[in-house]
Amino acid sequence: MIAQILLTTLLSGILLYAWIEYRRAPVIGFLSVLAAMTGLYFVWVPAHATRLAALVGIGRGVDLILYVWVVISLIVLLNLHLKLRMQMELITVLARELAIANARLPSKPT
Amino acid sequence: MQPEPGTRIWVVIAAYNEAQVIARVVTGVSQRNYRVVVVDDGSRDATGPVAAKAGATVLRHPVNLGQGAALQTGIEYALGRDADHIVTFDADGQHRAEDIAGLIDALTTHGADFALGSRFLGASIDLPRARRMLLKAATWFTRASTGLRLTDTHNGLRAMTRRGASRIALRQNRMAHASELLGQIAQSGLGYVEVPVTIEYSAYSLAKGQKLSDSLAILIDLSAQRLHR
Repeated sequence: MIAQILLTTLLSGILLYAWIEYRRAPVIGFLSVLAAMTGLYFVWVPAHATRLAALVGIGRGVDLILYVWVVISLIVLLNLHLKLRMQMELITVLARELAIANARLPSKPT
Repeated sequence: MQPEPGTRIWVVIAAYNEAQVIARVVTGVSQRNYRVVVVDDGSRDATGPVAAKAGATVLRHPVNLGQGAALQTGIEYALGRDADHIVTFDADGQHRAEDIAGLIDALTTHGADFALGSRFLGASIDLPRARRMLLKAATWFTRASTGLRLTDTHNGLRAMTRRGASRIALRQNRMAHASELLGQIAQSGLGYVEVPVTIEYSAYSLAKGQKLSDSLAILIDLSAQRLHR
């Protein structure tokens, strides 16, 4: 029961994260919700997790939940990558403004 | 052929650590009465000062951002200087300044907003077989993803009207900008024409050119951009 509450808290955090991210990156938001909802379902219906795990050849239901967690981590990693890209876009705009503002005219006219 | 008096043609050259060749490239272009802006993309060598001495206006990125970012900087600068036409031109000496006139002529003759150089309609001197295959694969990919009927999709020698350039907003800082630019041309619905040009490879330009591993990075960059706004 303690593990279920702990995992539910963590997965609820992922849902909150998905809600925040949805406007900026809908794909990330959607994938996060999907993974978190799947995780919540398996946490509270472990019998189904075990059955599905056996079906796909994973072994134990708890392993399946761990795999879901790995998927969530990868989605978060992807989102961090996208955020870095957006930061780089902002840096580019700033660098461009600086470059244009400080244009160095030719030593000899063209 | 010289540009008509009063015509404002700006040639944008993105340069990173090109001090060895940039003076020759700038001189070749500026002696044909084109206005030259070199975007020094955070070079660690004397690219900027050498280009300015050779007759170019120089914009310097404080850090290295990539060729796409540098071209966009040059395009925005030229638009701000009332350019009628803007030409993008490589810094490594593999383009010929005499081809610029053909590109500008094609814009006028065909009423197009973009004239794209094609080495496969023109000539490519000393193009290695592996590079040729890579370029053909890139052309196939771009034709499939943009619907543009082109023979050469990663040629940095191109010209655009002021209207065309105003529709270009490159967000891909690095090598994926070439595909992104073609995507924006397709989306703009403006006219384009391919023009035969000559690309002359040298050991220097081949060393600085794209590698096979870059194509994977380009695919990742193009995919990542679709995932966020």
